Amino acid sequence: MSTLIVRNLGKTFRNVSAVNGLDLELRPGEIFVLLGPNGAGKTTTLKMIAGLVHPSEGDIIIKGINLNEHPIAAKAHIGYVPDEPFIYNKLTGREFINFIAGIYRIEKDHFEERMAAYFKRLGIGEWIDEFSEKYSHGMKQKVIMCQLFLHNPDLILIDEPLVGLDPKTSKTVREIFFELRDQGKTLFICTHTLSFAREIASRLGIISEGVLKFTGDLDALSTISGSRDIEEIYLKLTEESTTADR
Amino acid sequence: MKEFWLLLRSHIKTVITSITTMGAFRFISFVFVIACFLLGSYYLFFRIFTYLLSVEMIGPGLTDRLIEMSFFVFFTMLLFSNVITSFSTFYNDKELDFLFSLPVKPTSVYLVKLIENYLYASWATMILAIPLVIAYGVTTRAPLLYFPFSLLGVLIFPLIPAALASMFIFSLLRLFPRLQARDIILLSLGLIMALTFLYMKITNPGLLKLFETENERELLLFASNLTTIGGSYVPSTWLSNILRGLSTAHMSGFFYSALLFVVSLAATILAYLVAKLLYVQSWLLIGEHVARRRFKRSLLSFHSARPTRTFLMKDVLIFVREPTQWVQLSMFTILLIVYIFSLRRTPMYFTFPLWRTIVSFANFAYISFVIATFGVRFIYPAVSLERAGIWLLGSSPLSFRKIIAMKYLSNLFLAVVIIEALLIFSNVVIRTDNSVFFIMPIIALFVAASLVSINLGFGSRFPHFNEDNPSKIAAGSGGIIAALASITYVGISLIILAAPAYNYLASEYFNRPVNYPVIYSALAVFVFLNILTIGIPLKIASRSLVYADF
Ligand SMILES: Nc1ncnc2c1ncn2[C@@H]1O[C@H](COP(=O)(O)OP(=O)(O)OP(=O)(O)O)[C@@H](O)[C@H]1O
Ligand SMILES: [Mg+2]
Repeated sequence: MSTLIVRNLGKTFRNVSAVNGLDLELRPGEIFVLLGPNGAGKTTTLKMIAGLVHPSEGDIIIKGINLNEHPIAAKAHIGYVPDEPFIYNKLTGREFINFIAGIYRIEKDHFEERMAAYFKRLGIGEWIDEFSEKYSHGMKQKVIMCQLFLHNPDLILIDEPLVGLDPKTSKTVREIFFELRDQGKTLFICTHTLSFAREIASRLGIISEGVLKFTGDLDALSTISGSRDIEEIYLKLTEESTTADR
Repeated sequence: MKEFWLLLRSHIKTVITSITTMGAFRFISFVFVIACFLLGSYYLFFRIFTYLLSVEMIGPGLTDRLIEMSFFVFFTMLLFSNVITSFSTFYNDKELDFLFSLPVKPTSVYLVKLIENYLYASWATMILAIPLVIAYGVTTRAPLLYFPFSLLGVLIFPLIPAALASMFIFSLLRLFPRLQARDIILLSLGLIMALTFLYMKITNPGLLKLFETENERELLLFASNLTTIGGSYVPSTWLSNILRGLSTAHMSGFFYSALLFVVSLAATILAYLVAKLLYVQSWLLIGEHVARRRFKRSLLSFHSARPTRTFLMKDVLIFVREPTQWVQLSMFTILLIVYIFSLRRTPMYFTFPLWRTIVSFANFAYISFVIATFGVRFIYPAVSLERAGIWLLGSSPLSFRKIIAMKYLSNLFLAVVIIEALLIFSNVVIRTDNSVFFIMPIIALFVAASLVSINLGFGSRFPHFNEDNPSKIAAGSGGIIAALASITYVGISLIILAAPAYNYLASEYFNRPVNYPVIYSALAVFVFLNILTIGIPLKIASRSLVYADF
């Protein structure tokens, strides 16, 4: 069964069309990377799937559950990391994790050890017991990422995972993404880091001005664009789409 | 100076954009509620002044004392609120990192921030003072010149406490950069209270005897014979002298206008010089002294996970750890204790059962207004304070309906505790009649339930997810709407309840027959009103969150 089915998804803010007629299907064990210029509609797409923005049209089906009809049941399968990491200022990282565990009804014995391992792996260290108001951008990002391993979501939505992370942590994050994929999770990632996209994506999508122009693996995209370099592919495909519209 | 205008212009532009992009519903309700409030208070002041001025001999004197008293209270309240807001405006604002990185003089930043602080701290006072000034002018048939001068006076007057507060805060933080926000706030409040008390004791020892007068006639005589209430060195007295002088086209009005203007200017210039010396230094020092505190044990860890309990516990923790929240709550509590204490010290009313009952009704009205203010300051920001964390809740399996329900019940609990405690203590002090004593707490339950709902409703309808300072959230346009809607609700309730109250008084003390149909229908109308004011805002609250885009 597909983890995510998106049909004819569209969003119009007042009279700005942010996303238009988007169709997509993601299977378990797949890492889908969405690329596109600033303002292309990546974040809007991700937020619609996370249930934070209401689509103007179209359907989102997560593990066979229609998000619009049964939002609570559908959301139980989602883990979301926003582009601007936020933790309540006056909570420590650990308290934040415990808070989420409480909301998702996860018993204490089931996550404490597992979490400690992730804290260590991501290099959060002693920071976990500090108020989050003192965290750097990357530190918040890391703590929020740990949250994904709490309730074991099948569909993981991550917006700009690498912003603010140091090279060592980026490497760890990549390894973690592969592990998740091997466990049969589906990852939907938006990024601007092309090298990262090339390394992790099982499938790439290119969105421009709210329209999903191409999807396919690297080979398919290089056939279309006639180049093997991801940077060239990206520039060519987004370029074409913007000129084609004019 | 040019930089200052540039910064100011960009700030004004942001405000204008936020108004023009406000959305029709919000804008109309904003204007409507403000207009209702201004007109309502105008009418109330007009009635009070008309009545007072018609009292023979002592009427005019009493009116002047009342105005002096109001302005004196405004002045001390302005000092309080300026001190509380200035710490966050001058030190805790994220915008400062940006402003200080610009190639502009720190003093320009200071002036812009001073204006911001002045507006935040004084809007509530102004919205009361303006109708008061106009009503006074109309009742005394003041010449046309009265209006522009006195209104200008009302606008200039809050600059003095704003300048004083910033000077005080700068010096304090320059000397003790390690002070935490809550220490500063507590310290300054203590100091202001002590100074006010000392000042009153020295300049006007008679005033403190006010609480000891024996009967009503003595009180009135006493009040009208008092020369001035604040003493002639306080700006609030000058402002009342402006009103009195100008309303009779007397030269003293112009003299005091000039005095007020010169002193405000001088205070601002002095504050400017102090800022030039100390502001940036203290701002930098404070950044170095971020307290490091570790919590080895997480307070949010429960053995068995329950969403509601975790969520409530999170709210409690964040409240307790945010000094601006609990400091203001304690200040609020102190003021109320002082209020009840002063009721106790006013025995003149209580010799006479009719008076006692009237006082207990007035007390009920006062307490309802207090809860309305409480609601705007503490309940209105509740949803906004989830801030960007709303993404987490929005993408989690906890529904917004449930979140609103939890916020409603927890805040209702707090509001009910406060309103009932106040009501019962004050009625014990007043020695209210039995029947009134038992009915009021029941009515108060409705009042609390409606006020919490109204504030939660507006708070979710107009959330400010980018602001983390609850006082500023409450002072935004949505907060003003919520404040005025709450006050309007209390006003309407009081008008509805006035009929049965009057009926009760008439039958109890003047042996008139009890008009049961009036009493029952008024109560029915009251209950109906409350069904609306509890139900509709809650509905709006959960709907606006469910259908919002984050
Ligand atoms: N809440 C909103 N109200 C109005 N317009 C919006 C809103 N959110 C997004 N938009 C518009 O929708 C379009 C898509 O924005 P989106 O944030 O999805 O882009 P993005 O691909 O994530 O860009 P970036 O790479 O910069 O993160 C933009 O034109 C943006 O201005
Ligand atoms: Mg984005």
